[in-house]
Amino acid sequence: MKLQFTLTPPAEEPPAEPEEPLLYDLAIIGAGPSGLTAAIYAGRAALKTLVLAGSLPGGQVANTETVENFPGFPEGVGGMELAQRIHKQAERFGATIVPEEVTAVDFSARPFTLRTYHAVYRAHTVIVATGALPRRLGVPGEDRLFGRGVSTCATCDGFFYRGKRVVVVGGGDSAVDEGIVLTRFADEVTIIHRRDQLRATKIYQQRALANPKIRFVLDTVVEEILGDQKVAGVRVRNVKTGETAVIEADGVFVYIGMDPATQVFAGQLELDRWGYIVSDARQHTSVPGVFVAGDVQDPYYRQIVVAAGTGAVAAMEAEKFLGEYPPTERVKSGLDEACCEVE
Amino acid sequence: MSMLDDHIRQEVTRFLEGLAGPVRLVLFTRESDCELCPETRQLVEEVAALSDQLTVESFDFVTDAQKAAGMGIDKVPALAIIGAQDYGVRFYGIPSGYEFTSLLYTIRAVASGQPELSEAGLQALAGVNRPVHLQVFVTPTCPYCPQAVLLAHQMAIASPLVRSDMVEASEFPELAMKYQVMGVPRTVINETVHIEGAAPEPLVLEKLREALAQPMEA
Repeated sequence: MKLQFTLTPPAEEPPAEPEEPLLYDLAIIGAGPSGLTAAIYAGRAALKTLVLAGSLPGGQVANTETVENFPGFPEGVGGMELAQRIHKQAERFGATIVPEEVTAVDFSARPFTLRTYHAVYRAHTVIVATGALPRRLGVPGEDRLFGRGVSTCATCDGFFYRGKRVVVVGGGDSAVDEGIVLTRFADEVTIIHRRDQLRATKIYQQRALANPKIRFVLDTVVEEILGDQKVAGVRVRNVKTGETAVIEADGVFVYIGMDPATQVFAGQLELDRWGYIVSDARQHTSVPGVFVAGDVQDPYYRQIVVAAGTGAVAAMEAEKFLGEYPPTERVKSGLDEACCEVE
Repeated sequence: MSMLDDHIRQEVTRFLEGLAGPVRLVLFTRESDCELCPETRQLVEEVAALSDQLTVESFDFVTDAQKAAGMGIDKVPALAIIGAQDYGVRFYGIPSGYEFTSLLYTIRAVASGQPELSEAGLQALAGVNRPVHLQVFVTPTCPYCPQAVLLAHQMAIASPLVRSDMVEASEFPELAMKYQVMGVPRTVINETVHIEGAAPEPLVLEKLREALAQPMEA
């Protein structure tokens, strides 16, 4: 057994010293590739930068086995390793990274206010880089059996399915790639997809097709997850014939895409009908001084390199904004509420 | 051969420089029937060597059974993290992978004795009036798990009546089976209440209240 040791925050810094001002030039919400790339650029621009890392430091990439399409890593790179490298780079340029989750924001006046369970932070500019969360199927049985056979994390939970049968729902890269990961544990992996062909990149498709433990059930949707105390199977329907069937399984891994993590911004920022934050080509949101980067504004590509790119743009725009609309007093003035209103 | 590479050792050294006080790493292992006991001991010793504030006390689960029982330790490998007092913080199974993070942050929290919880959380825990046992099941490959482990350990630090275990599911399959763990993190509170996933502090507090509202076990 190969043991690995990972040192990454949940918590990078202890809570701020009382005398340390909780006011920043830039607060970045989210610590995936977009948020941390923004932090690298902001740090190099000498902005006093806070990163509120939230519940999954590193973002979705931390949860990815191997990244093969990020430039500069010809052999591929572990998702966690890539996340840690970006994290380190952000710290090197002075960003303060805390593990806290933002629970409420007030973007109605500058400096903007961000609340976590632990503290209230204020910042002259904000970059929202909260990413996306796994979408649920929304079928009967799913919530009840979550953690009892229903999962959205093959790397976390694959272990519990040694010698068992699992289904993977979805047809994109994640579904097919995680299906392959699951063959290390499970005897049988059935990938159920609602269309007649997979959406996954060809290279993943070829690998899955060559894997004797994987079978595909296409044109099929999951209508119910069955089981009493734990998952026993799924009831499926063929979308072309209307036929229903039951596929027995011990586990159901749901990889049907992501939803933008924008709940706390409702009423604060303009969202599109799917919940994505509306952004212009320069990563500005509907509120001047609030910028956005990464998957939370990207329904199309959702790639690490694209997320990083928008993070860089957002940071450069934030810097520019601070130059054009300077706070009347600089950050080091501390917690004085009245100090920093903008005309 | 050392388990931690130079790079990780440097990072850990830097991390441990800020420890607020001494921490004892009290380790229990067993000669036989414990696949990862030797590795766990090596890991704990390597980590302890990186800070003057850390000391290791190593015990045998069989010959020091009384000591183990006194500390509420019922399986191995077991690691108790003890600061100014024994807060009831335990790791069962090797803290490798993402759990290495949990180990280090727990050491830091125990060293300070100051739980990093919200005001509301501290108040709720001050009101706990009977024993609470938190068991957080994890796998080393679960990036969400340290959050759940750290939150549970912080709660143990905050209240003398709360104790908290990390349980590495693959090393204790019977226990994972007993608590029907099929996904991680899974937190079991006083045997009866379960939390799936890495829940934020307010939700865990709510579940804690739910567990406290249940009738006492005989």
